[in-house]
Amino acid sequence: MLAVPFSLLLFVSNGTLATSGNTMDGGWQFNPAASLLALAVLSGPLTWLVGRWRPGLAWVAGALLAGGGLTTTIVAIATGDSGVDVAWAPSWGLRLAFDLDGLARLYALLATGIGLLVVIYARRYVPLHLHHQGRDEREAGPFFAAFLLFMGAMLGLVMARDLIALFVFWDVTALASYLLISYDRQDANARASALMALLVTGISALGLLVAALLIEDRYGTFDLGAVIAAAEAGDHSLGLTTGILIVSAALAKSAQLPFHFWLPRAMAAPTPVSAYLHSAAMVAAGVFLIGRFYPLLATEPRLLDGLAVVGAGSMAISGVLATTRADIKQVLAYSTISQYGYVVLMLGLGGQGHYGAVAAVFYVVAHALAKTALFLTAGAVTEATGERRLDRMGGLWRSMPALAAGSGAAAAGLAALPLTVGFFKDELFFAAALERGPAAVAVAVGGATLTIVYIGRFWGGIFLGPRRATADPVPLALVGPVVVLGAAILLTGVVPGPVARLAEAAAAVSLREAMTVSPAYHLDTRPENLMALASFVLGGTLLATRRFWSPAAMGLARIGQRFGPARAYGRGLDGFERFSGAMRRVEVRDLRGRVATILLPAGVLVIIALIATPTRDAFSFGTIQRGDAGLVMILIATCGAGIASTLPRDHLSMALTVSGVGYCLAVTYALFGAPDVALVAVLVETMFALLFLGMLSLLPRRVLAEEAAEPENHHHGRRDAALAVIAGVIALVVSWSALSRPTFRESVAVDYIELAPDAHARDVVTVILTDFRGLDTMGEITVIGIAMLGIAGLLRRGRLR
Amino acid sequence: MSPSSRYQVDAAQSRIDPSVTTVLTQTVARLLLVPIFMVALAILVKGYADVGDGFSAGVVAALGVLLQDVAFGYRAIGRLTIVRLAPYGALAGALIALGVTFVPVLTGEPLLRHRPGAGEPVAHLGALELITPVLFDIGVFLVVFGFAVGVIGMIARMHPRPIGPSRGTGATGGDEG
Repeated sequence: MLAVPFSLLLFVSNGTLATSGNTMDGGWQFNPAASLLALAVLSGPLTWLVGRWRPGLAWVAGALLAGGGLTTTIVAIATGDSGVDVAWAPSWGLRLAFDLDGLARLYALLATGIGLLVVIYARRYVPLHLHHQGRDEREAGPFFAAFLLFMGAMLGLVMARDLIALFVFWDVTALASYLLISYDRQDANARASALMALLVTGISALGLLVAALLIEDRYGTFDLGAVIAAAEAGDHSLGLTTGILIVSAALAKSAQLPFHFWLPRAMAAPTPVSAYLHSAAMVAAGVFLIGRFYPLLATEPRLLDGLAVVGAGSMAISGVLATTRADIKQVLAYSTISQYGYVVLMLGLGGQGHYGAVAAVFYVVAHALAKTALFLTAGAVTEATGERRLDRMGGLWRSMPALAAGSGAAAAGLAALPLTVGFFKDELFFAAALERGPAAVAVAVGGATLTIVYIGRFWGGIFLGPRRATADPVPLALVGPVVVLGAAILLTGVVPGPVARLAEAAAAVSLREAMTVSPAYHLDTRPENLMALASFVLGGTLLATRRFWSPAAMGLARIGQRFGPARAYGRGLDGFERFSGAMRRVEVRDLRGRVATILLPAGVLVIIALIATPTRDAFSFGTIQRGDAGLVMILIATCGAGIASTLPRDHLSMALTVSGVGYCLAVTYALFGAPDVALVAVLVETMFALLFLGMLSLLPRRVLAEEAAEPENHHHGRRDAALAVIAGVIALVVSWSALSRPTFRESVAVDYIELAPDAHARDVVTVILTDFRGLDTMGEITVIGIAMLGIAGLLRRGRLR
Repeated sequence: MSPSSRYQVDAAQSRIDPSVTTVLTQTVARLLLVPIFMVALAILVKGYADVGDGFSAGVVAALGVLLQDVAFGYRAIGRLTIVRLAPYGALAGALIALGVTFVPVLTGEPLLRHRPGAGEPVAHLGALELITPVLFDIGVFLVVFGFAVGVIGMIARMHPRPIGPSRGTGATGGDEG
C-alpha cells in the first residue's frame, strides 16, 4: 500500500503520469485525480501520525486534509475530467486506474465538503464526549485518524476504475466504519453494533469481489471502462448472478431491506460519525456503487425492477418506523434508510425513463446536506440538555435560536418545502415516477408524505411545544456547521443550477449519455406541483392526527422486532459461536480429539472426491511379469513390516518397525527408477528414527514401562480395530482408483523432461525442485523455518517451557 | 532432583546411553564426520547433473552430526560449534532462498526468474554450475541442515545432566547454551 504514494510522487515529478485533462504548455501540470488519490492513501496515516505526536493537533491535520481535498475537488469540477493510470500488477491485468469523472467528483465533493464541516464540529464535540465518559482527551487522535481513513477510502472508492482497487477501498470503508462505530470501546453495545455493521457490509463486500472475478471471467478485464464499453457493444450481458452480487453489496452498504438493521444499531457511534458515515458517506457509497455499475446493471431489466421494489419497501417500512422512535438519533437513522429507499427506487425507475438516475444523484446531494445538519443538531441538542429522547425535549427554539433556524432549514429541505433544494429533489422524484405510471406516483406521494411526518415530528419535538428540559449553552463549533448547511440548503433552493449541473455530470456517467434537467419553480398546475401539494396536505394532516394512528405504527415496529432480519442475524451469530465452541471443546479435549478434528474432515473430503470422480477404467488389475519379482518381494516385506508395527507393546520396537516400513518403501522407489526420491526417503527415515529414539530417551523409563504394561481395553480395542479397518479400506480404494487409472502421455512430466536442458540441468528432479516448482520449495522451506521457530519457542534455553 | 529420579532418568537413557558405545564406535564416528560432509557437498554440487539436491545434502550432513550424537552423547555435541551455529545457518539459508526468489521482482520480472536464462552460456567450476538455481539449492541445504542440527542441538541442551565420555569434564556449569 505504501508503494502507491511513493510511485505517485515519482510519476508526478517526472511528468510521465498519464493525464487526461486540459493540457498547458507541456511539462508539469496539476492533476486533481493524482492529488486526490494521494490524499486517499495518505489521509488516515498522516492524521494518525500527527495524533501520536500532538493529540490536540489531530483535528487540524484532519481539517487541512479534508480542506485540501475539497479545494482539489472544486478545481476538478472547474477543469473537467482527469485520471491516473499506472501499471500495478500487469501480469494479472491490474492497473491502478482512477478516473475523476462526473460521478466521482460529486461524491468526492460530498465526502470532503461534509467531512470538513464534521471535522470542525468534532473538534469541540469529541473532547466533550471523552470528558463525559471520563476518558483521556488524547484519545481524540485515533478518532480523527479513523475519520480521515474513512474519507480517504471514500475518495479512492469513487475514483477507482479497476474493480480490484474498487473492492479494496470498499473494504477499507467498512474497516474504518468499524473503528468509528466502536469508538466508545468500553461500551459492549457499541462494540456489538460495530461488529454488526462490519459483518453485514463486509460479508456482502465479498460478493462484490466475487462479482469482480465473474466480470473478469466474462469480459476478460478488471477495467470497468473497458467492461462497460464491451457491454455496450452488445457482446455480453452482465448476468443475473453478478448483478445480484453487486446490488446486494450496494444495498447492504446503503442499509436497505433486508440489510437495514445495522444502521439503527450503528447510532451507538459518536454523533459526528453518524452525521458523516450515516448521511453523506458510507450509506452514499452503496448508491454510488449502483451508479457506477449502472450501465451494466441496466442490461438486466429484472435487476432494476428488483431495486425499485426494495427501494419502495425500505422507504415505506422505515418511514413508518421512523415515526415511532423516541430516541432522536434513531428517528434520523430510520429516516436515512427511508430516504435511501427513495434513491434506490429512483435508480430502479431509471431503467425506462431517464429521469431516475439524475433525480437519484440530485437527491443524494440534497439529502446529505439536510441529514448531516440534522444529525449535528441532534448531537448539539443532546450536548446542551443531556437528553436523547424526543418526549423529554421541547421548546428549545428560545434558548437555541440559531440552531433552530439552521436545522429548521435542513428539516424543510428534507421535507421538500419550497425555497429549499429539497423541493427540487422531490420535483425530480415526482417527474421520474410520472414516467412510470400511477403506481409509482402513489408510492412517491406516500414516501414524500412520510418524510414530512417524521421530520416534522423530529424538529417540532425538539424545538416547538412546551419546554421540558433546560439547555446549557453549547460551543459555537457545534452550531456553526448546522447554520452553514442550513444556509447552503436555502441558497441552493433559490439557485439550484450548480447542484443540477453536478447531478447532470454524474448521471451522464451512469447513463452514458448527456442529460439535462432544469429545476425551477413553476406556478402552475403541472402534475409534479399537484403531487407536492398532495404530500404537504397529507403530511400536515397526519402530523395533526398522530395519536390516532401511532398505535398501528407501533404495532408494525413490534412485528419487525419479532420477525425482522436482525433476529436472523442474532441467531446466525449465536449458532456460529456455539458451533465453534463445540468444535474447540472436541479439539482440546485430548490427543484423539485433536487428531480426529483434522483427519475426519480430510477423510470425508477424500470420500466425496472419490465418489465424484468417474470410475471408468479405474479399479482394474494389471499383470505381474517376471521382472517384477523384486518389486513384489519388497511389497510383501512392506506389508509385513506394516503388520508387525501393530504388534509390539514397547515404544522402541514400535518406532523401529515403523521405520522399517519407511525403508521398505524407499527400496520400492529405487526399484521404480526414482533414485532421488529413494535417497530422500532413506535419509528422512533415518533422521526420523533417530529423532524418535532421542525423544523416547527423554521420557522417564517408568512412564514408558507403565504404558506398555497397561492391559488393553477390549471395548476400545474393538472400536479402534473397526476404525482402522474402515480407514484402511478407504485408503485402499482411493489408491487403487488413482493408481489403476491409465496415465496420459500429455502429462506435465514430459514437458519437465524436455525443458530440463534449457534450465542447464541433467537431473530433472533437482530442476523441478529449484526451478520449475521453485515456489513450492520456497513455501516448504518456509514451513521448516517456522517449525524450527516453534520448537525453539517450546524449548527455551534447553528446557521445556 | 532427588537421587532416585536421577537414577531413573539414567536408566531411561541406558538403551542408547553413549557410555555403552565402545571406543571403536566413537573412533569410526569421528573418522566418518569429514567424509560425510564431503558426500553432502558432492550431492549438493552435483545436484544439477546427477542424483541429489540441496535437501538430500542437508539431510546427509545432518546425519553426520547425528552420528556424533549417537557415539558421544547429546551433551558433547551440544558444545560443537557447528551445532550452535546451525540455527543461524538456517536463517542465512532462508535469506538466500528469499533473495533468489524476490530479487527479480525488483526489476519487474516474475518471482524466481533464474539466471542465466535458457540457451545462455553457463560458467562452470568443475562440476559446479554457476547459476542461480544452485544458489537457491544452497539456501535449501542450509535451511534443512540448520533445522535438523538445530533441533538436535536444542534437544541435546534439554538433557538434564551430562552423559557420555565427556562426563568428567562437562559436569561443571549450567546446562544451557
